[in-house]
Amino acid sequence: MLAKSTAAKSKKQVATHDVSLASALPWIGPALVLIALVVIWPVIELVRISFTDISAAGSLLDFNGLTNYRELLANPDIYPVARRTILWVFGIVFFTVILSLPTAQLINQNFPGRKYVRWALIFPWAASVVMTSMIWTWILDAYSGELNLTLTQLGLISEPVDWVNNPGSSFYFLMAVAVFVSIPFTSFVLLAGLQSIPNDIIEAASVDGASNWQIYRQIKFPLLRNALLIATIINLINVFNSFPIIWIMTRGGPGYDTDTTTTLAYKLAFIESNMGQSTALGVFNFIVIMMIVGLYLRVTKATRTEI
Amino acid sequence: MKKLTTRSFAALASLGLVAGALTAAPAQANTVTIKVVTPNYTDDMPAYYKDLNARFMAANPTIKVEHENLSWDDILVKGRTYISTKSYPDVLNLNTFSEFAAEGLLYKTSDLFTEAKLSDFVTAFRDNSKYNGVEYAVPDLASARMFFINKALFYGAGNTKIPTTWAEVTAASKKIKAKYGSKVYPLAIPLGSEEAQAEFQIWAGGNGGRYFDEAAGKWVINSKANLETLNQLKAWVKAGYTQPNPASTNRTDAFKLFSQGKVAMINASVFFPSTLKDYKSKVDYGVAPFPSANASKKPITLGVQDYFMAFKKTGNQDAVSKYLNFLFEGKNYAGFLKAAGGFIPATKSASTEVDSSLLPFIEQLPNAIFYPGTLGSWGTVVAKITTQIGTGITKDSKTVLDSLQKTAVAAGTK
Repeated sequence: MLAKSTAAKSKKQVATHDVSLASALPWIGPALVLIALVVIWPVIELVRISFTDISAAGSLLDFNGLTNYRELLANPDIYPVARRTILWVFGIVFFTVILSLPTAQLINQNFPGRKYVRWALIFPWAASVVMTSMIWTWILDAYSGELNLTLTQLGLISEPVDWVNNPGSSFYFLMAVAVFVSIPFTSFVLLAGLQSIPNDIIEAASVDGASNWQIYRQIKFPLLRNALLIATIINLINVFNSFPIIWIMTRGGPGYDTDTTTTLAYKLAFIESNMGQSTALGVFNFIVIMMIVGLYLRVTKATRTEI
Repeated sequence: MKKLTTRSFAALASLGLVAGALTAAPAQANTVTIKVVTPNYTDDMPAYYKDLNARFMAANPTIKVEHENLSWDDILVKGRTYISTKSYPDVLNLNTFSEFAAEGLLYKTSDLFTEAKLSDFVTAFRDNSKYNGVEYAVPDLASARMFFINKALFYGAGNTKIPTTWAEVTAASKKIKAKYGSKVYPLAIPLGSEEAQAEFQIWAGGNGGRYFDEAAGKWVINSKANLETLNQLKAWVKAGYTQPNPASTNRTDAFKLFSQGKVAMINASVFFPSTLKDYKSKVDYGVAPFPSANASKKPITLGVQDYFMAFKKTGNQDAVSKYLNFLFEGKNYAGFLKAAGGFIPATKSASTEVDSSLLPFIEQLPNAIFYPGTLGSWGTVVAKITTQIGTGITKDSKTVLDSLQKTAVAAGTK
């Protein structure tokens, strides 16, 4: 009797499960098709092409195994670019976070005109990065840029400085622009984090005599951890993939001196017509992104179970 | 108001599209559509093609022309994307043809033009349109380069004679720098990724340097002559005779500086006078043959030509042949040259009626050296030279040239 009822129960369970999967398909089907078409298929193509010989004119020839990868690794220009990419990603994310923490704090305060400050802050994020990069190119232009004009009129410099094209400073200016573009999003994620902190904890702490710094350091900051982690990881992906800033301001030049692996993959393919090495580098870039995404999934899963 | 007009315009346009599709449908059966992709030499090009294509389609009702006019930056990328995705254009106007010819994608010009028509193209340009001895493209126009000076700055600094050797360039630069200080750059050397290959070649050519030795059939990018040239350019940069960061200065930037009267000497192409006019420049300029390394070396000019080519597709041969022949008809081709803005004509018949400002350049053509554009590997090699050669100014010149040589050797001589 008992056995029969368990069997019946488990059968019923299986049936419900089947029904729910089948009934879910019409709902998730279109999304699955879309993902297969615009995400999975291009990835498969990328990997397939990376094992193919490609002519300078761009025609696909035969399967040639790991040759593209071997050529990429034998290319001496790759290594400085890879090192620079690490500096690019971690440098920008570090300074973005450092500057966004106080910014989020500021726009969380109640002060007259806060709405307008928030608008102003989100603007660089809402505007196209291409536009922002062009504006910065003009600001920093050696001969007619606003920065040089102002500095000359203030008497701080006697002749124009070519900020963006000077090999010593070029890459740092690009990074600064990238930080400028990344701050709005990061600040707003942190702002959301700040707003989710219950007010009574903070009130209780201040009643107990905690200083503002103590409240921040020991209550707000630890509670911001989730928002901070997510903002950091999303920034890692954005910055690693960032293309327009570098391409518009220096085209990765002179030579490869301001290239990252993302711009280099493009340059190899479309400027140097070296499609083979470019696809191999594309696969490498894809693996890096997948690793960061994996990290993101782990972190979000961890934070969800905590809650 | 603005929004409203855009919206109603869009509605009208979509209505028009629908109507167009409805009426066009029955005729489509025997209509050939050809796609023509061209670079934007100047902003007059779209209007020129609009008129040309309308007249062509009126004369040939069974041929429909789809035209795409792209900036040079875009056409180099998009052109390649078309090829790699096998959506070949039918007619392409570009600065290189050999890699497409190497893959057997192009019609021979003898399949498109009669011999009488072909013989009207300037012979030197025709020779540059051959891959493995067969012509696969026709020249559309050409340019040559000369040495431009800003007369006021140059003579104002006490110079009396336009330099013919590198030593005289140094001497003149010294005088100009002494007179004007940091307000003026005596010499502009744009080695940025726009046209570095040309800037380097014209200086190196005056020292007997080439990228490819035609006679020996091998790459000579790291030759002694080229190394000496790069070191000389470097020396001028070090002495402060040039604009800062030559490796990041594009030709357009340098042209702008010259047009603003901030540069005294510059290498510039045949269309430079019309560019100066566009910039509304007030600079009074002089033109002279390009200085060579020393008195024993022959002065040269760099000849550059672009090409029209047609891609092989089933059923398009007649249409592309008609289209190209139509474009090269006297009046139409004259319009093309006018819209492109002051280049040297590619046909003998058009050469007889050029503007007098072109004459000094045409005189230089016998001394012209050309890129090895007939090699299938040239496209790959030139792309690398263009982005990398400028780095030789700040890095070790020999390392940069050696690395380029290595790339070229790997790309082959076919």
